[in-house]
Amino acid sequence: MNNFIPFFVIIPLGAAFLISLVGKLSRRLADFLATSGGFGLLALSFFTLWILNSRAGVVLVYKVGGWVPPIGICMAVDNLSSLMLSTVNTVSFLVLLYSLSYMEKYTDKWKFYTLFMLMLAGMNGIMVTGDLFNLFVFLEIASISSYALVAFGTEAEELEASFKYAVMGSLASSFVLLGIALLYSYTSTLNMADIGRTLAAHPAGLLLNFVAVLFLAGFGLKAALVPFHAWLPDAHPSAPAPISAMLSGVFIKVLGVYALSRVFFNILGVSQGVLFILLILGTVSMVAGAFLAIGQSDIKRMFAYSSVSQIGYIILAFGIGSPLAIFGGLFHLINHAFFKSLLFLNSGAIEYSAESRDLKKLGGLKEGMPFTAATGIVGSLAISGLPPLGGFFSKLIIILAAVQAGYLWLGLAAALVSILTLAYYLKFIGFAFLGKLPEGLAKIKEVPLAMRLAMLILAVACLASGLLVAPLFKSLLQSASDCLLLGTGYAERVFSAIR
Amino acid sequence: MIQRILFNSGLFKIDVLSSLVLLGVIFFTVLILLYSIGFMRGKPGRGQYYTYIILTSLASLAVCLTNNLVFLLVAWGFLGITLYLLIALAGPQAREAAKKTLIIVGGADALMVLAAAIIYCLTGTLEMDKIRISLSASSLLPVLAYLCLALACFAKAGAMPLHTWIPDCAENAPLPVTAFLPASLDKLLGIYLLARVSLDMFVMSRTMNMFLMLAGAFTIVAAVMMALIQHNMKRLLGYHAVSQVGYMVLGIGTGIPVGVAGGIFHMLNNAVYKSCLFLTAGSVEQRAKTSQLDALGGLSRLMPLTYISSLIASLSISGVPPFNGFISKWMVYQGLIGNWRLANGKWEMSVYLLCLVAAVFGSALTLASFLKLLHAVFLGQGEVLSKRQVREVSAWMWFPQLVLALLCIVFGIFAYQVPLKYFIGPAVGNNIEFFGLWAPALAAILLFVGMLAGLLIYCSGNIKQLSRRDKPYVGTEDIPAEARPTGTEFYRTVKEELGVLRGIYRKAEAGAFDIYHQAKDLIFGVTNFLRYLHNGVLPTYLVWCLLGMMGIFYLFLK
Repeated sequence: MNNFIPFFVIIPLGAAFLISLVGKLSRRLADFLATSGGFGLLALSFFTLWILNSRAGVVLVYKVGGWVPPIGICMAVDNLSSLMLSTVNTVSFLVLLYSLSYMEKYTDKWKFYTLFMLMLAGMNGIMVTGDLFNLFVFLEIASISSYALVAFGTEAEELEASFKYAVMGSLASSFVLLGIALLYSYTSTLNMADIGRTLAAHPAGLLLNFVAVLFLAGFGLKAALVPFHAWLPDAHPSAPAPISAMLSGVFIKVLGVYALSRVFFNILGVSQGVLFILLILGTVSMVAGAFLAIGQSDIKRMFAYSSVSQIGYIILAFGIGSPLAIFGGLFHLINHAFFKSLLFLNSGAIEYSAESRDLKKLGGLKEGMPFTAATGIVGSLAISGLPPLGGFFSKLIIILAAVQAGYLWLGLAAALVSILTLAYYLKFIGFAFLGKLPEGLAKIKEVPLAMRLAMLILAVACLASGLLVAPLFKSLLQSASDCLLLGTGYAERVFSAIR
Repeated sequence: MIQRILFNSGLFKIDVLSSLVLLGVIFFTVLILLYSIGFMRGKPGRGQYYTYIILTSLASLAVCLTNNLVFLLVAWGFLGITLYLLIALAGPQAREAAKKTLIIVGGADALMVLAAAIIYCLTGTLEMDKIRISLSASSLLPVLAYLCLALACFAKAGAMPLHTWIPDCAENAPLPVTAFLPASLDKLLGIYLLARVSLDMFVMSRTMNMFLMLAGAFTIVAAVMMALIQHNMKRLLGYHAVSQVGYMVLGIGTGIPVGVAGGIFHMLNNAVYKSCLFLTAGSVEQRAKTSQLDALGGLSRLMPLTYISSLIASLSISGVPPFNGFISKWMVYQGLIGNWRLANGKWEMSVYLLCLVAAVFGSALTLASFLKLLHAVFLGQGEVLSKRQVREVSAWMWFPQLVLALLCIVFGIFAYQVPLKYFIGPAVGNNIEFFGLWAPALAAILLFVGMLAGLLIYCSGNIKQLSRRDKPYVGTEDIPAEARPTGTEFYRTVKEELGVLRGIYRKAEAGAFDIYHQAKDLIFGVTNFLRYLHNGVLPTYLVWCLLGMMGIFYLFLK
């Protein structure tokens, strides 16, 4: 029954292997393998979502090699991971669809697919694993392939960005590894549930604090929280647009937010101190990211800072820690996955047709690229939190939760940053799509069908994601946030699933 | 069944005030659609234009009908989006105006979200008719919630300090859009919500009422002073659209029935004459291809129907009896006087007096600036224009103008019999106490009799030659065309020769009083500092990580 779980890793790994074998021979075959791999994962993740949603409070556990945990390695999928898996694989499938046309202009498209699939294997692995060291391994697989993908264009700027990213990313990985090593030395186990159980039985005191600092810094670097964010505004814009969409849309959420919240909420247990730090990191990121975004004239750089700001909202919500806040945070996470990947794909479409992503050199693209303009406007208004698009509801819930928990000023800050967000996205719309078409772009053409299709589906997702709070779909988010609220009860749930 | 779902679930509710606004929304939608058939003929983007207008109308209906705060937020915010898209339709030059509009309007919506959150935490409900929060308590939360809501209403209706999008929008947006949204619908909705919030959802304190009144009085005078110096017809009207909001806010701020009724009545009247004025401006622009006052003139003979509508609406907005603008302003004055009688303490008394003076003074200045408009556009010399085949606009366009002008007269003369009796009175609970004597029907009859008599006397003397036209002359010399004073010339003294005003005007034109520009400067100051910190050097960034870690560690150990 649970035998399908490893396929979340097997499919992308297998696809990466096959593509690297046959990619040189036939371009079409590589396209086919990548797209069908992406589609397979999409189907699988929705199947998992469907199975889990019909039975609340269940963890699907797969014992690798038949060894019983905590001695053997296990994979555990609960409502939270299945919701994240569905989001990630939806976005990655659409990005693959988009890449069909977009990546034509690069040589060695098959290498791109190989790296992409490796990155996906890493991300999926993080979400399905029940073992802390495996989490680190998958984190490294995802990170290292993303370093390569950022440098994919091999121009000076891209290589520099990739180098910075690699240095800071390795720093993050070593923090995480050190944290895991310290935990292992204390608990003598690497199984996440078992660590949780051991820590509950034997509180670790100061050591736990040190581990918490290491994890906060490590995952904070991956999630690009201020002051650990500095690699992101270089790395995300330098990558090819589909990869930017993946990195900003889902990558930082899986490696940063998901790993952070899983480790803290379900394994180490959240104390008031951790929540307070999350609150501060979230607020600072939210505010600083928005201020930095408004000054940019490079579209992708603006979006990259915007990701810092929006991740800030999510971490702020987790830091509030009330059920409503976590619900809102997860909701915003899913919304952000949709609209940020849409926006990066949009910037890619602009770069594809207009060959520039400098706002000062663009304008009036509404005329030549009405489709890109329409989806871009939808994405921008959604992320700015204008109703009735999805982003409005998640921001509303986060602000409501902040006020309810007594953090009135944080609610006010969130509302004001929302105005700033609106301002810089209107700057983007205004300079890219409205205004006068520059002389050189008079004959601009709309992008190919595959790219338009991917953007269309994401735009529809942005329009419809508000429905996730409607009674019919609310249980999806509710059960996912219950997984986090369960706290260290996670261990109990996993062990009862093994028995 | 439908009624049960819609009304018993608490999502929708209808009362007299909302049905009044509802009627207004439907009425203006129909008129604007009629006008647009003529105005938009042969222009690109018509499909989108009509879609957005209809969507706007539907969202406005939802705003009037809803009883749920979140649903209100959704519909309210959606209006901002459609307004943005409508302005953007005007073409490349509208980019900045569209952006500014949505930042101000949408930004105020974000504050409204905060207000909704606070209200939910205070009362535990989102149903508006169950909310009753007292402002007199000294706690911060209710005051903050009220201020956020009031700011959202100000932004939508265009009261100061969030008014600055209206003149820009009026100048750049397609004209029916200006007539539809900033001039009529946004006023109706903004003031509707302000009334709803101030009368039903919150129990007002005296300080809050004072705040509203002062904001209103300031808006009246400041905006009309700006209107005086404009050279563009649309921008001038845009500033008046701001100025008139002041009367409504002032009326609602008085807090006594006659003043509140006056405020709401003024909202209705303003929507009527202001959209009429914008529509006539649109007609003039369509025929004369310009909206610069200096380039226009003498259109009264060429476009008589437009002239008549514009004249009536101008008199009405200036508060000349017996038109409708007068009577609602009169009611607002009564509200102020009523408050003045009840005031305790010299300080309060002087506030009421100040507001009253501002309101009356603003009304006089309005008249002055409309004389300028009428003279520059319709009267004066128009030889330049007549050559260009300027003729009356099509029936699609003059019909809505005339309907609105007629409404100005009807609402003025039969104020007690029609609007006050059926719409305004019930909305504020039918306990309006009028003091002072004003019988509009009688006054109108006397005025018309007087005018008729004057006309008879005039005609009896000049029966052969009813009108005489001379070339302008000084002494016996003809004045050459380029030396003739234009309509705007007379008003130059206001701007350039009064010492104190000159400085203020200069600053105002540089955007010193525009909250949008001020906020922008502030934000870019912070941004530049942050950008300075991001120097792109890897070791710096690694140091930040280290410092961040140390900070977290310190917080843990503390």
